[in-house]
Amino acid sequence: MNENLFASFTTPMMMGVPIVVLIIIFPSILFPSPNRLINNRLATVQQWLIQLVSKHMLSIHNYKGQTWALMLMSLILFIGSTNLLGLLPHSFTPTTQLSMNLGMAIPLWAGTVVMGFRHKTKASLAHFLPQGTPLPLIPMLVIIETISLFIQPVALAVRLTANITAGHLLIHLIGGATLVLMNINPVTALITFIILILLTILELAVALIQAYVFTLLVSLYLHDNT
Amino acid sequence: MGHKRLNPARSVSHPPFHLWGCGESDSPESEATRIPLSPTQVRSATPASVWTPAEQKPSLGAAQGSLNSQREPAQQRPLRLEAPSRSAPSKGSTSCQRGRSGRARLHGDRSERRARGPSLDLSSGTRGKAPRLKNAALLGPGVLQATRIFHTGQPSLAPLPPLPEHGGKVRLGLIPEEFFQFLYPKTGVTGPYVLGTGLILYFLSKEIYVITAETFSAISVIGLLVYVVKKYGASIGEFADKLNEQKIAQLEEVKQASIKQIQDAIDTEKSQQALVQKRHYLFDVQRNNIAMALELTYRERLHRVHREVKNRLDYHISVQNMMRRKEQDHMINWVEKHVVQSISAQQEKETIAKCIADLKLLAKKAQAQPVL
Repeated sequence: MNENLFASFTTPMMMGVPIVVLIIIFPSILFPSPNRLINNRLATVQQWLIQLVSKHMLSIHNYKGQTWALMLMSLILFIGSTNLLGLLPHSFTPTTQLSMNLGMAIPLWAGTVVMGFRHKTKASLAHFLPQGTPLPLIPMLVIIETISLFIQPVALAVRLTANITAGHLLIHLIGGATLVLMNINPVTALITFIILILLTILELAVALIQAYVFTLLVSLYLHDNT
Repeated sequence: MGHKRLNPARSVSHPPFHLWGCGESDSPESEATRIPLSPTQVRSATPASVWTPAEQKPSLGAAQGSLNSQREPAQQRPLRLEAPSRSAPSKGSTSCQRGRSGRARLHGDRSERRARGPSLDLSSGTRGKAPRLKNAALLGPGVLQATRIFHTGQPSLAPLPPLPEHGGKVRLGLIPEEFFQFLYPKTGVTGPYVLGTGLILYFLSKEIYVITAETFSAISVIGLLVYVVKKYGASIGEFADKLNEQKIAQLEEVKQASIKQIQDAIDTEKSQQALVQKRHYLFDVQRNNIAMALELTYRERLHRVHREVKNRLDYHISVQNMMRRKEQDHMINWVEKHVVQSISAQQEKETIAKCIADLKLLAKKAQAQPVL
């Protein structure tokens, strides 16, 4: 208990040198690029997974939207791998930092919006007004739709940050509770430990789901605007 | 007067009926002995100075240009003589090189075949690189990097080294086997384990590793991970192997299908070749048939001709016979008529009296005779 609860969320430094860039780059070495027809098991399974996910995720887009395939796939891989690696003990998860998530969400969202305005100006502007609104409500509704549009990137970023951070915090807390209860009442500590295991399973799922949700929403915004 | 039979002799000299296929065989070798001239031989036969597209445009206005272009192949020809083997791989390189030295390459082909020797062809290689920048010092480095041409050489066609069958052996999923082998001579089998235990206890007791909340999360995560790997690791490995097997099986199937197709084509070709060898039997039979038919037709016609001619000649003969008979009859009738006419009445009376007298005489003789 030397450190506070939020110590694991500070930017990692090693002897005064920020190594956060290395940590962000690290997951990329876990995805070897297959340079032959028959690869090792890791590359084969990854290839299969990426094919599966890309097929499902890009089936709703037209040709213009499918040019974003590389972007969306690398997004889901990055977020998924960083989230999963963050569950290891004493590791730093870059996606817990709002700065990074905003840095991912705002450019992607802005890209889709600008693309929509460039190619389908009338349709993009028409998104601001849902069909069938009564006439006196139109100005208010336009304002509300604008706000909801501009809140999209913020929502994307904050959703991801909050989920991952909350999960990590919960793990810490329950782990701390187990630690403290070990001395007082080992049985309760065991129960708490079981809760911790269940939570870990949940966190594993959340890690993957959050990646999926992020990418899915970006693709949804894309679909609206292509 | 018999009828004449005519046997018209065979006027046409017909050759005897010839049976093909006795002792004759087609010689397929005769067709194979015709070897076409290879284009290289044809090209090398023509001297280089005779055929040059540049020399065939003698216009005064373009005399200078043609002179230059004449000089260029002439200049490049001694260059090409030195550079045969190096220019062969560079033929497949950048398109600008190919386009620029296309005409010279024709000369180069001929001169290549004349002289072979290994040496570097620096002139043609450097001609195909990035465009040279002379007066753009500010933009130089950036543009140079931006216009760098990749893939100048040919890609390495050598196969990648094969993947090892199994990964390196590890114990406890983390520590490679070589470490245990490394410690084995000094500390035996239990050495690395004792080392590990000692290190862990050391870190714990000296609080170099502090037991915090994170310890429990570590235990839970790593425990979960180990459980999942132990339970589903093998099946995931098999799944990956199955994916690769499917890929290989698909390609293998394509390969086998291609081989089978080619084998079938070879067999068909062989059987057709065999058929072609035996084709002369068919031709002989056909020839025989046709010859027989011709002979038959000839004989038939001959017979018809014979018959027709005989008919006509018979007609003439019968006409002659009939004429003769008619003449005979006519003559007889005429003679009889005239004889009868010539018998006058008096003569008739005398003849009759004479006959009666003769008769009486005879009667007397006859009467006299039987008495004897």
